[in-house]
Amino acid sequence: MLAERALELIRELQRSLDGTLPPFNEDKVRQVLEEMRALFEQNQKDVSATVAGESGLFSGVQLRHAALERNKRCLLAYIYNRIQKIRDMRWEFGSVLPQDIKYNLSEQEVQWFNKYNKCLANYMRSIGGTGGLDLTQDMKPPKTLYIEVRCLVDHGEFETHDGNIVVLKKNSQHFLLRSECEHLIRQGILEHMVH
Amino acid sequence: MSLDALENYYDLDDIISTNEKIPCKIEIPIYRLGYLDSSSVNEHLTPGSKLEFPFWMARSLCSRKRHMVSVEMPKQYREAYREILTADASVVDLHKLGPYYFSFGIHMLKFELPESPDVAKILVKSFQQRFRKVMDSSQNCYNEDTSKLTDKLDESEILLFRAGQHGLNEFVRWETRQTEKLTTSEMVKNHRKRKRAIMEDIG
Amino acid sequence: MDPAEVEFIAEKELITIVPNFGLDKIYLISGDIGPFIAGMPIDVPLWMAINLKQRQKARIRPPEWLDVEKLREKKQEETDSKFFTEMPCKCYIEMTTLLLKHAVDDIPHADETRTLIKDIWDLRMAKLRSSIDTFVKSDATHAKLNHLTLMELNTVRPFLTKALDQLNVLRSNTGPGAQYTQD
Repeated sequence: MLAERALELIRELQRSLDGTLPPFNEDKVRQVLEEMRALFEQNQKDVSATVAGESGLFSGVQLRHAALERNKRCLLAYIYNRIQKIRDMRWEFGSVLPQDIKYNLSEQEVQWFNKYNKCLANYMRSIGGTGGLDLTQDMKPPKTLYIEVRCLVDHGEFETHDGNIVVLKKNSQHFLLRSECEHLIRQGILEHMVH
Repeated sequence: MSLDALENYYDLDDIISTNEKIPCKIEIPIYRLGYLDSSSVNEHLTPGSKLEFPFWMARSLCSRKRHMVSVEMPKQYREAYREILTADASVVDLHKLGPYYFSFGIHMLKFELPESPDVAKILVKSFQQRFRKVMDSSQNCYNEDTSKLTDKLDESEILLFRAGQHGLNEFVRWETRQTEKLTTSEMVKNHRKRKRAIMEDIG
Repeated sequence: MDPAEVEFIAEKELITIVPNFGLDKIYLISGDIGPFIAGMPIDVPLWMAINLKQRQKARIRPPEWLDVEKLREKKQEETDSKFFTEMPCKCYIEMTTLLLKHAVDDIPHADETRTLIKDIWDLRMAKLRSSIDTFVKSDATHAKLNHLTLMELNTVRPFLTKALDQLNVLRSNTGPGAQYTQD
């Protein structure tokens, strides 16, 4: 059936889990484009023949046109939904994506991610007075200024805003400014201790 | 899929659900596309031959304006099934009949077939009859395996169930004061889990 | 909305405390509070009451309605009524949960209070589910629900709005107003 390959792209994306992004399937995208080219060329031929006086070709043109539109929809949805996911990842992983995820992005997607990053950073810098406002922080109303945290992994040295150096060693516990360590908790480096 | 995503151009579920097959009959010759009919060796699609087309294709060939093919209601929307649903919709396995029973059903209405009004009615009735069960099961299970509860639901009902679960889970997490604790992002967690699984596979 | 945000809103509610310290009036964006005089009851926002309580600077006086006898009556009233009754506080569940967590020693019969509030919550949620079901099964286009609280609404919101959206899509394709697009 026509446009079957394009649907495989869609299924592939739909099956992928939260927090993962399948590799950009360049091969299949190319195959879909090839099918589209063949459909388009056949339609052009039929249209020329019709202009030249042949009749009865319209039904075929219509069918192929529907397949073209269908392929186009699948490709655009594939790209669009991947971008949506990449955008969400900026908010979950932070400004640097893990290597193995980055590896699955197409070149254009990497460019898009970098531009989005820049755009967001510029915006955050421009609001909330001097120093800007980090929108990725305090997604829920914070309860206290300082929080107790425990290191889940060895993360090395960490400089606090007042210039102190804290060594984030596995299983060590610290009392830190919430705003300074919230992103480390989100990344799974620290654990928030509540009593 | 959620029914409000119907005809959303970029919606993955809508794309998949519009691929459901419909019994069609060719009404006028369609040249050089005979290969679409796997049961025939003809070069052309010839009038009178019957085959199945995905919804998106059938729709472009059959509308008020065009009659290149005629379509029939797929069997899961015909009278026999409508009767089963009328008797007691709440026990029917709509996942098996679907899994996009409602959204594909709504798409089918566009063909304005003679039985369309009856299909339309049964869709609304079935949704209403099954609603309580979806709602109650979604509101009564916290932290349980929910696959048993959803395996007979249509895709739109599954999304409804998940929305109910979301409301309940968020409330329970708040009530038990888990919301106060900052946690690792779900996406990061899933990514780690997967990475660990891959490492173990290699090791 | 996240329940944490609903709680944040509820924390603006005033509650009476008895401070054990003295302090001049303080000026906040949300309004002036104080002066604090040791031993003199004063109304402060819930968030401040809990903060002071945590630092052992004050006792909290539970609101009048947070009383076992009154809650028993309320529960009976809620059971007997077909409709939602008006709650004495529009953030009863938030306030009770916070007070029982941070100031349990200031609340007489804490355990029974907890159970009663939970019972009332469950009664109201069951009622809410029944009314949603009745509404979905009816052909009505709107319904009026009085006296629901923010947290109650918030818990069913994702489900309810989605259900009504879906029903609307199903309905708009049926009945006399059915719109068949001609494409």
